[in-house]
Amino acid sequence: MKLGIVKETRPHERRVAASPNVVAKWIKAGWQVDVERGAGTAGSYPDSQYQEAGATIVERAVAWGADVVLKVRPPEPMEINQLREGTTLISFIYPAQNEALTKRLAVRKVTVLAMDLVPRISRAQKMDALSSMQNISGYRAVIEAANRFGSFFTGQFTAAGKVPPGKVLVIGAGVAGLAALGAAKGLGAIVRAFDVRAAAEEQVKSMGAEFLTVSIKEAGEGQGGYAKEMSKEFIDAEYALFREQAKDVDVVITTALIPGKPAPKLWLKDMVESMRPGSVVVDLAAEQGGNCEYTKPNEVVEVNGVSIIGYTDLPSRMAHVASEFYGMNLFHFLDEMGGPSAFKVDHDNDAVRPALVLEKGEKRYPPPPMKKVEASPPPPKPPEVPKPLPVAELERPTTPGHHGPKPRAPSRSSGVAIAVAGLIAALLWLGLRLADPTAFSSIETLKLIQHLTVFVMAVFIGFQVIWNVTPALHTPLMSVTNAISGIIVVGGLLQGRGDLSNHVGVALVATLFATINVAGGFIVTRRMLAMFRK
Amino acid sequence: MLEHLTTKSDIGSYALSVVAYLIAAVLFILALRGLSSQETAKRGNIYGIVGMAIAIGATLALPGLRFHPLLIASIVIACAVGAMMALRVGMTQMPEMVALLHSFVGLAAVLVGFSIQLDHVASLAEGIEIYVDVIIGAITTTGSVLAFLKLRGSVSGKPLLLPGRHFLNLAMLIAIIVLGVVYSRAPQVWSLAAATAIASILGVHLVAAIGGADMPVVVSMLNSYSGWTAAAAGFMLDNDLLIITGALVGSSGAILSYIMCRAMNRSIWNVIFGGFGATPPPSAGKAAQPAGDVQEIDAASFAAQLKAAKNVIIVPGFGMAAARAQHAVREMTDVLRKQGVNVRFAIHPVAGRLPGHMNVLLAEANVPYDIVLEMDEINQDFPSTDIAIVIGANDIVNPAAEEDPTSPIAGMPVLQVWKAKLVVVNKRSRAAGYAGIDNPLFYKSNTKMLFGDSKAAIEKVVASLKG
Repeated sequence: MKLGIVKETRPHERRVAASPNVVAKWIKAGWQVDVERGAGTAGSYPDSQYQEAGATIVERAVAWGADVVLKVRPPEPMEINQLREGTTLISFIYPAQNEALTKRLAVRKVTVLAMDLVPRISRAQKMDALSSMQNISGYRAVIEAANRFGSFFTGQFTAAGKVPPGKVLVIGAGVAGLAALGAAKGLGAIVRAFDVRAAAEEQVKSMGAEFLTVSIKEAGEGQGGYAKEMSKEFIDAEYALFREQAKDVDVVITTALIPGKPAPKLWLKDMVESMRPGSVVVDLAAEQGGNCEYTKPNEVVEVNGVSIIGYTDLPSRMAHVASEFYGMNLFHFLDEMGGPSAFKVDHDNDAVRPALVLEKGEKRYPPPPMKKVEASPPPPKPPEVPKPLPVAELERPTTPGHHGPKPRAPSRSSGVAIAVAGLIAALLWLGLRLADPTAFSSIETLKLIQHLTVFVMAVFIGFQVIWNVTPALHTPLMSVTNAISGIIVVGGLLQGRGDLSNHVGVALVATLFATINVAGGFIVTRRMLAMFRK
Repeated sequence: MLEHLTTKSDIGSYALSVVAYLIAAVLFILALRGLSSQETAKRGNIYGIVGMAIAIGATLALPGLRFHPLLIASIVIACAVGAMMALRVGMTQMPEMVALLHSFVGLAAVLVGFSIQLDHVASLAEGIEIYVDVIIGAITTTGSVLAFLKLRGSVSGKPLLLPGRHFLNLAMLIAIIVLGVVYSRAPQVWSLAAATAIASILGVHLVAAIGGADMPVVVSMLNSYSGWTAAAAGFMLDNDLLIITGALVGSSGAILSYIMCRAMNRSIWNVIFGGFGATPPPSAGKAAQPAGDVQEIDAASFAAQLKAAKNVIIVPGFGMAAARAQHAVREMTDVLRKQGVNVRFAIHPVAGRLPGHMNVLLAEANVPYDIVLEMDEINQDFPSTDIAIVIGANDIVNPAAEEDPTSPIAGMPVLQVWKAKLVVVNKRSRAAGYAGIDNPLFYKSNTKMLFGDSKAAIEKVVASLKG
């Protein structure tokens, strides 16, 4: 089976479908690889490197004649004419927005798989080219902003005066947003983020950023880890928050997208106008119409000294790494399709079938609903968490140690506690009632009820506190509770008053044993805890 | 106590001691809270000590009471004895120490109950309280003593299963209730003493029926009992501090027992009354009998394998504690880590004889706690692991729990060591684990056995690693 890596013809596109690295992996896996002359030049991958990796450098027509043609951008009309019948084309396609393109491809009787339709399930993460590209866009957005921004991101104290750190607000904490947060944080800026999805909060915080919220509660989770459209009240509250932030921040990076809809307008004209001159807005949604009202796709607009960057080719501006990532996504995708020996379009493969647009010219998009293969697709898993991308080391929780949240059962156990306490109370009441009908008039019983209240409260607190103890410390927990239960010494003391008599003698022994317990328990705990070191 | 208050200043200082008790109670809560992470744990322990000092101080400062001077003497003596015990005990003996201390709390509670009985019993309610306190205390005392002896090895770990033991337990329980009714009508020493004796036998019998593998549950259950007994004493003495503290300890032990039981996939009733680990059903044993021979490995070739590995996970069990091999294991870890091998530890919740036992032993040997992970954190990493080293563990790595539905431990969550590329099991001999079940892990094709005492075997491996 022959793979053809063709040169992108779209103006300003510097990426290529695979780097020499990836080509070497394909060769090793048993593919033959043809690379169009000069395909990687713009991404700083000279032809010689592809040759070293084992590929053949060929002319355009030959590359397009391969069994599987690999590309980044959707094919241009003139490129479509070079496709051979029966060829498989894999690239970004966006069939929903590009119906004409799909029709023209259908005429050529080719099989087309769209990398933009690879589903966002955990198994397919290594083929998720959209996430790869968004990660790069997020990083690059910060770099572009820093380029236009006339000051430091990190605060500085110098002999010539001090500079406060730059403040960066990221709207939409998806893959791109989180990458932007990581990059801005890395440059030393104060970073904040806003997202309508509650699940984003933890991820934002794990990047060391502040998570902004509005007072209105509304779940913003939509399909596939994206956000949904919000109610009017919510949007108003959101605008109020943004207006406040506009006066404070130096850089705004917007990444808000709603699938199948134009990008929501979030950064309005008046917000831009209230920003300090020299501030920068980077609109990553420019291609879908932009989140900022001033955005013009592929341009930088200046309003009152505020730059609004609407580049839509951010990944292409980092063509070197973008080609490497995209190539690896393709590599895993081809692997999923069976590799060189068993290459086929498997309709039962839940990672491949959704990406299928055309099969030998037959329309296969949109795909039929899949059988539930993944155990639990909803709630939509935010795709960014397990990405082993450059931000990975920042994604680790900042809390020390490795003890993440554990499954706890406080509600269940406190329920049990209440039930037990209730049972004890009922039994006591019944027992007293049966033994002595006048019991309830006595002051002793009143005291009993008082004590019972204290008891129930304490059990409740105990249950709440103990569930938080880390399992590694269960032995020290036992020895410290052991020491504390030596509190029975108080009982011994109270009985040990007055002259020496039988009951005082017994109390003395009780005190002795209880105190051994107290001293021994605390010292043993101390010894154990002193040993735990990082 | 209020009846002792005569003057206004007495009432004032009484109020002060109530406040002091409250502070002590809050400090105890903070002490437990501190244990939620290693960073705050030491501070938590100090809170506990301060709380205890305040509690004792406030009690001694109670107005209108004349304490016997011998009390102070007994406190001083007890502190010395307790400190000596605590400083001399080895980390491997920690389970015994904890069990012994539990029995002291139980004993103290029984004695306080008798002391009040010998003093005077004011009312029916107080009578019931004394009775409850003494019964729970007696069960705790004798149960803990037996647990101590079992853990020390003085008594066999095998469960004692008398014929009709459930009936025996029930009979004792009924006898205790009947005596309780008698006692509450006329609170006399003989009925209380008789009930104490029965409760003591009950405590022994309950613990005797539990197998060695379930010891972590027993110890945490006794921990819980010692708390409830302190709470009962609080009711008896009208002392809220005792009630609060007892309830804290009681619920702590109860939660630990629950966690342990869940880790073994068994209900608490099953553990208490089960007599588990005695004789596995013969049919199950036959069906699960794995075929084939074990493959042995020697220290030198094991060391060679380790040198080539990138990811290593060590699974320690009670065998490591018994052989005191933790220092040797740490040395091996250090050598490997210096060579760039990613070494981590996987701790099963019921490894050892106490909850968290392995963590303490590894900490004693100076293993950094951030490479010591819990089962849930590390279980998915075994497939990407080059070598899994099982040191003195058996049941917690038994694949039969997942693969053989007839196995007595079926369904118990286990560490999936067999998914690693190579498993090396260090074991003293070919005997079955505490649960008495054969382990198919030993016969897997990717398993190699390193027979011998853990300490000696690992030291040999370290020597070959260095050489």
